[in-house]
Amino acid sequence: MQNAKDSFYLALRSRLAVVNPERTVLLRGTLRPGIILEEAEASFAQPPADAFILRWLGLGADLQTPSTMVAMECEFCYCTSGTQAFGGLDRGRSLSRMDRELLAMLQPLSTPKFNYSVQPAAQLQTKVFWDEPVFSPITTQRDRLSRTVRAMVYSYEEQSER
Amino acid sequence: MTPTSFSAPSPVSRRVRAYFAPVERATQTLASFEPATMSAFHPDAPPAPWIDLGWIENFTRRSGSKSAAVLTGIPAAALETTRHTLEAQITFEFLSWTKLTMALATGSQHMNVLAVSDSVGTTAFPAVSVQDGSTASVIRLRPEDLDNFVPGSMIAVDADYEGQTGYVGTPVSGAYVRRPLADPDYVRRVTFNVGLVLGISSGSLILAQPLPGGAPGAGTKVQAITGFSDREGGSFCQEWSALFVMEGSQGERIFFHYPRVQAMAEAEETTVPLDSKHRTGLARILLKGQFLALPVTDPIDHERVLCYRSFKPAAYSLI
Repeated sequence: MQNAKDSFYLALRSRLAVVNPERTVLLRGTLRPGIILEEAEASFAQPPADAFILRWLGLGADLQTPSTMVAMECEFCYCTSGTQAFGGLDRGRSLSRMDRELLAMLQPLSTPKFNYSVQPAAQLQTKVFWDEPVFSPITTQRDRLSRTVRAMVYSYEEQSER
Repeated sequence: MTPTSFSAPSPVSRRVRAYFAPVERATQTLASFEPATMSAFHPDAPPAPWIDLGWIENFTRRSGSKSAAVLTGIPAAALETTRHTLEAQITFEFLSWTKLTMALATGSQHMNVLAVSDSVGTTAFPAVSVQDGSTASVIRLRPEDLDNFVPGSMIAVDADYEGQTGYVGTPVSGAYVRRPLADPDYVRRVTFNVGLVLGISSGSLILAQPLPGGAPGAGTKVQAITGFSDREGGSFCQEWSALFVMEGSQGERIFFHYPRVQAMAEAEETTVPLDSKHRTGLARILLKGQFLALPVTDPIDHERVLCYRSFKPAAYSLI
């Protein structure tokens, strides 16, 4: 399932670079597309604004099928206070833009699965696929608007992954 | 690196896409679908004559075919089974209202509402002749005829009715005329050759999509329409070829090909609340399609069949 998690995150990161090349984040001295895999970074006291945080939650497996199907729930968290140029009064628009970018990143709802633990990454035979995202209501904390979005990500465990 | 295989579980699919093609009624020519082309079938650009009708909902297919046992001996015991009736039905809901989806869901004659020039609604704007050099997407008219159209106009493009009987309409038979009629606009009332005018430029109507019938032929006329209408009753039944495609999560594809289908129910709609917690609020109105499959003779072995199911497995999945 690690291959599925890696493939999902890297597919979304590549798609974000196309959807909005200006949404970037500076992490450990490197400028990258603005989507952060929480479990692969040092913990932060407050999540950075104007970037997507990807977090893995629940896990399930269907052992009845010829290839084990793994279902992983993921959550995207993102927040914004708008831009300084508009004194933060555009925070609603900024959040809407992030909503739209997330929807665009998740389309199409599948991506090829790769094994990124080898160099160069090796493409596997199956695809990682996911369901439509579920958006939670907006949360307001002072001048900061935030939202969480959940999606179920599925993959098949291939023989080479066991 | 040597490729490996995997044991594919049942396909996981999100939705079904529908494609329809007209049956040429006069010659009983059907739209073919060759399973050998499954891999090359492009969902967004289906091969002619298939017309993409988009995603559909609540697709169900039901077989009503019946088999019976042949009993022999004393006491009688089943020796074998024989198939003594063939029947198959399909039902689904269209997610859009267009000329074609509305007509398919109706099953009987489906009419274009001609734009009228009087407040009573009895005098239709006259049809104007299509000029040479027109294509499926650009309709050339005489300069004085362009005044009848503005961007956003809907048009019907077909020949005048000249008293003929039999199937009428291009490229799809829109009606069957049993006795001569007096309405010269009748063919344009029932034609499927309709389009939306996106702009007017250099003496031509620029259409949003190509006309289903292709470039207009000689003697064809254009008439403005304002919408569509159908009715319960009548004796005409449309006939179509239908193709349904399910795309699996691993790239596998399932095709259901019905060479001949006819609507088996009159016009019906289904309402689906937009907000499941507010069932009396806004609701989406879906056109419901219910079809009966009609038999064809398979040219390979001359068996009578109603439909074909084809499956293209995912790459490298064990078969």
